Order: sequence, then structure tokens, then C-alpha cells
Amino acid sequence: MICSTNNPAQKRFFSRFAVAMLVYAALLVPTIAIFVHYRPSGLLAYGLAILPALPILGMLVVVGLYLAEEKDEFIRNMQIQALLGGIGGTLALVSVWGFLENFTQVPRLELLLVYPAFWGFVGLSTAVVWLRNR
Amino acid sequence: MKNRLRVLRAEREWSQADLAERLEVSRQSVNAIETGKFDPSLPLAFKLARLFETTIEAIFSDEG
Repeated sequence: MICSTNNPAQKRFFSRFAVAMLVYAALLVPTIAIFVHYRPSGLLAYGLAILPALPILGMLVVVGLYLAEEKDEFIRNMQIQALLGGIGGTLALVSVWGFLENFTQVPRLELLLVYPAFWGFVGLSTAVVWLRNR
Repeated sequence: MKNRLRVLRAEREWSQADLAERLEVSRQSVNAIETGKFDPSLPLAFKLARLFETTIEAIFSDEG
């Protein structure tokens, strides 16, 4: 995130993002415990398995809300560039890795790593965008 | 796009932060517009023109 001082949209973004992360942690721990101790099956298992993903979807909504609420068009423009860099980097990684998996002996890419990889690419992209515009 | 923001700002002895506060944008935005790295939207250009009591064409120029 390219931060500017006294930016209400960014303050709301960080608050909402923190809430989504707390909800994620609050759902993930009991979900793991339930699967370890009770081994649910059928529809219940599917429902429970999806539960921790919901706050992750919520984080994406939080990003969308931030972009809609950010009044500073230059900052919004830089954030969009950083997010596009993150999306591009993630797509490039999974595409290249997919072909490597098909034709070589590389280990299978854990799908759960794609989302944190996206934020990693957003972070890198943010640094590049910031350096270009400082 | 070339602009006269730095001159107009200097005439009023405003810092970039002063102008940013009046425009309700970040200082980075003012700097990016001033240095020609970022072209403002039409609403922001109108806001600038109103603030400096002039026209958009008197601030911005798309020539050379």
C-alpha cells in the first residue's frame, strides 16, 4: 500500500483488512480442529472447508471498496498499477509453474500459496510503482 | 503535459503541502502533477483552475 498521511480511505482499508484477517484466523483454527477430531464428511465437510476462504474473499472486497472510496486519483492510480502488477506476477508464476509441473519434476504448487504469492507480487509491484513516481 | 502549477503556487507562496490541502489530495499527487508525471482528471483540473482563479488552458498546455 502506497500510504499518504491522513487518508480516511486508507484508514478504513487497514481496519477492514485487519478485521478480515482476524475472522480468517478465528475460522481457520476451529476448522482445522474439527477436521482433526471429528473427521466430518459429505456436505458438512465441503461447507466447513470453504469457511476459512470466506474472509479471504472478504479481503478482496475490502480492496475493491478501498479503490471505490479513494478520493486521491493519483494514489488510486498507483494502487491500481500495483494490484495489476500483483495479478500479472501471480498469473505468470502459476502459468510457468503449471508447464514446469507438466513437463518436469518440480513439486506440485500448493494452491493455498497462490493468494499469499499474489500479495507478495503486489508488495514488489508497489515498491516499483513508488520508485517510479517518487 | 506541461503545466504552470509550480509558478502559480510560488506566486502565492504556497508549499506543495498547502496546495494539496486546498485540493484535498496528497502532497505526492501535487508533486506528480507538477512534474508532469501524472495528468489530473478533468474535475481535478477544474478544481485547480477555480483555486487559481484562471482557466484550465492557462495552467496546462499540451504543446511540446
